[in-house]
Amino acid sequence: MGHTSKEERLVTGRKHGVRRLQPSVMMILILAWAMVAGACADSGAGDTTTSAAAEEEPTTTAAAEEEPTTTAAAEETTTSVAGEALAVTCDPVSPDTEGSLTMWERTGGNAQMVDALVCAWNGRNPDRPISLEYIEHTAMVDRLARGLATGDVPDLMGMDLIYGPQFTSAGQLLEVTDLVDQDLMATASPGHVATATWEDSLYGVPLYADVSALFWNKDLFEAAGLDPETPPTNLTELHDMAAAITGIEDGVYGYYLPGNCAGCNIFTFAPMIWANGGKIEPAAPGDEAMVTPEVIAPVLEWARMMHQEGLIDPAAQSEDGATFAQVFGSGNVGIMGTGNFNITLVSGAEGIEGQNPDMNYGVTLIPGLNTGDVASFLGGDIVVVPQGSERLDDAVDFMNFILSDEVQVEVYAKLLNMTTRTDPELTDNPYYAEVPLLQDVAAAIEIGQTPFTLKFFELVNSPQGPWLQMLQRVYYSDDDINTVIADAKAEMEAIINE
Amino acid sequence: MTNRSRLTGIWYVLPALAFVIAFTAWPFLQMVWISLNDWSLITPPDFVGFQNYLDAFADSQFWVSLSFTLKYTLYITPILMIGGYLVSLLVTPNSGLSRLTRTVVFTPVVIGLGASSLLWYWLFSPNYGLVNKFLMDLGIIDSPVLWLGVDANLSNWAVILSITWKVLGFGMILFVAAIQAIPQEITEATMVDGAGFWQRVRKVILPLTRRTILLVTLVSVIGSLLAFDQFYIMTAGQPRNLTATSTFYVYLNSFPYLKLGYGAALSMILALIILGFTVVQMILTRRSER
Repeated sequence: MGHTSKEERLVTGRKHGVRRLQPSVMMILILAWAMVAGACADSGAGDTTTSAAAEEEPTTTAAAEEEPTTTAAAEETTTSVAGEALAVTCDPVSPDTEGSLTMWERTGGNAQMVDALVCAWNGRNPDRPISLEYIEHTAMVDRLARGLATGDVPDLMGMDLIYGPQFTSAGQLLEVTDLVDQDLMATASPGHVATATWEDSLYGVPLYADVSALFWNKDLFEAAGLDPETPPTNLTELHDMAAAITGIEDGVYGYYLPGNCAGCNIFTFAPMIWANGGKIEPAAPGDEAMVTPEVIAPVLEWARMMHQEGLIDPAAQSEDGATFAQVFGSGNVGIMGTGNFNITLVSGAEGIEGQNPDMNYGVTLIPGLNTGDVASFLGGDIVVVPQGSERLDDAVDFMNFILSDEVQVEVYAKLLNMTTRTDPELTDNPYYAEVPLLQDVAAAIEIGQTPFTLKFFELVNSPQGPWLQMLQRVYYSDDDINTVIADAKAEMEAIINE
Repeated sequence: MTNRSRLTGIWYVLPALAFVIAFTAWPFLQMVWISLNDWSLITPPDFVGFQNYLDAFADSQFWVSLSFTLKYTLYITPILMIGGYLVSLLVTPNSGLSRLTRTVVFTPVVIGLGASSLLWYWLFSPNYGLVNKFLMDLGIIDSPVLWLGVDANLSNWAVILSITWKVLGFGMILFVAAIQAIPQEITEATMVDGAGFWQRVRKVILPLTRRTILLVTLVSVIGSLLAFDQFYIMTAGQPRNLTATSTFYVYLNSFPYLKLGYGAALSMILALIILGFTVVQMILTRRSER
């Protein structure tokens, strides 16, 4: 190796045979690398990425997003109905397919159900199949809003039902009042119909339904010396049973309330307030929130007592919804408010492995302070047609198709989901007969309530909203309950009156 | 300069100028216009003048978010700067171990911020996270620590830890480049004069890498003032909105709440604040060059 002067080494950047990069060159390389890496990362950060704290938080359907979903490439199964095969799995359809309809659906909902409905439709309508695109659920509202502003909208779409009033009131959905089959709509889920209706005009039909209910772990009841076949019928009983269960084994708690998840709480805790006659959110400007504080306060006092007595896992304080659906199936919680989707999650179903299939548990309606007072949150999605769609007739055909008896039984019930019509002859089907728990939870649809407000996200679903802020003060502070309610009421009314 | 050469110059500048006009100036002007309107995207815009700006100054959550963002910036910037510089001092020599260390420390930089935040979100999970398990196995804690979304300070430090892991290598690599660019004669001369390692660092390396230090500070401060992904994913602003950064609050208003005009006004205010920081940095840089 020849000798090199220091000057030469500095010029060439070589020392001991190793190249030294000049700072400016190095910086440019780094920036270029970072930009490429950022672009790669961002390329998936739009509509289809997953994020934890915010994204995982359930909306009205709580933790349904955790429900295992069927994949498009799954083995195709068919059901023979009246001599015809009704497919519930299929390959996805490209939006470039001639005659296809484009449909948006949010992630975090019931993808398994929507996939199956689309496959059933596509099997029967090969000349006008649906090309389904999933939109990140936290981005769905603004994606639709942007689409409406620019004309980039799908032919039809699934929408979290609680956002129905916001878009119908703004005149951004096409009316279907006289187009859908009135006989089928007569027994359609009332909560879905209410949120799809604005000033007596109908803008959508139920796509799928999720209801909240109270699940109790019979194994833990037995271990605690409680009657495993007798669930609590009021909040006092619930407290006493939870107290008996808490601590029977290390890490076992009597009850569960997620402390950092607005959607989970409106789904599972709000029904206790409703059962007691309370109302939480204002519907429109001028409407009153938190009606009435005297009715709501005792339920909040009960929740605070459950925390103060240590009947709820302290780790629940950080539960933002990401693991909410797995809590009951862990077998460490005696009683818990959750949704119908938890039956499949815990016990499994055809093609779906259960989290804890040997666990014995029951399902009952969520009680209030007094025996006999019960309530449930009725959530899910509605199918709507955004302004700008040029396929209204086809979209309406899809609406009538999913409301039909055949699809109600051979798709919804077969996949152990709630039927979206409440006719007894539909809920009394062979699939539910094999899973009696589904019949128990199906009773919640008839008593289910769905909040109706023009600003649901800002009022309730947002982690920054007054609903979760109120609950966190109730659960984890000693603030006066009446003050907490008054603050939430004032903030909600300020938001709705903006 | 002849007219012809002037014209030639304009042609050279034109692509860059068009790029800036299309992707910076025009969107900025649009944002200014949007900030003067009450607009939800699904209803027509309604001109409200400076009302959105007045609302912002009366919005207590805006000040909470701004104050938290400044606090976060104040905490993380020295950590990234001092940490990055110390690591760079260790790994500047081009030995095999140094190169390996540089690679290891720099690797997280190329991971997307969203992915790394998600990774740390699960590492900090009370029930499933490795951080709690590790600390419990070592007997340091008896029960899981609720790192995220319960205590604002703890959440902030958890995020700072994750970002330090993610970003430290960026500053390090720039510092390494700057240190390596110091002429060898200077280093050797100080060694001949009997200067120890820390004396060389204080008297030679730090002054000669001042411009890089200021550059990294500027990048770090602006990045921290615009922090979004890590808080959106790891804390969602919890608890009680105390970890909602300014950008998170802008996003929340602009999109989920569909208050695009208000969100644009908040963005404008934030942009002015960042502009202020940048001007200060530029003044400092110029002074250092004198």
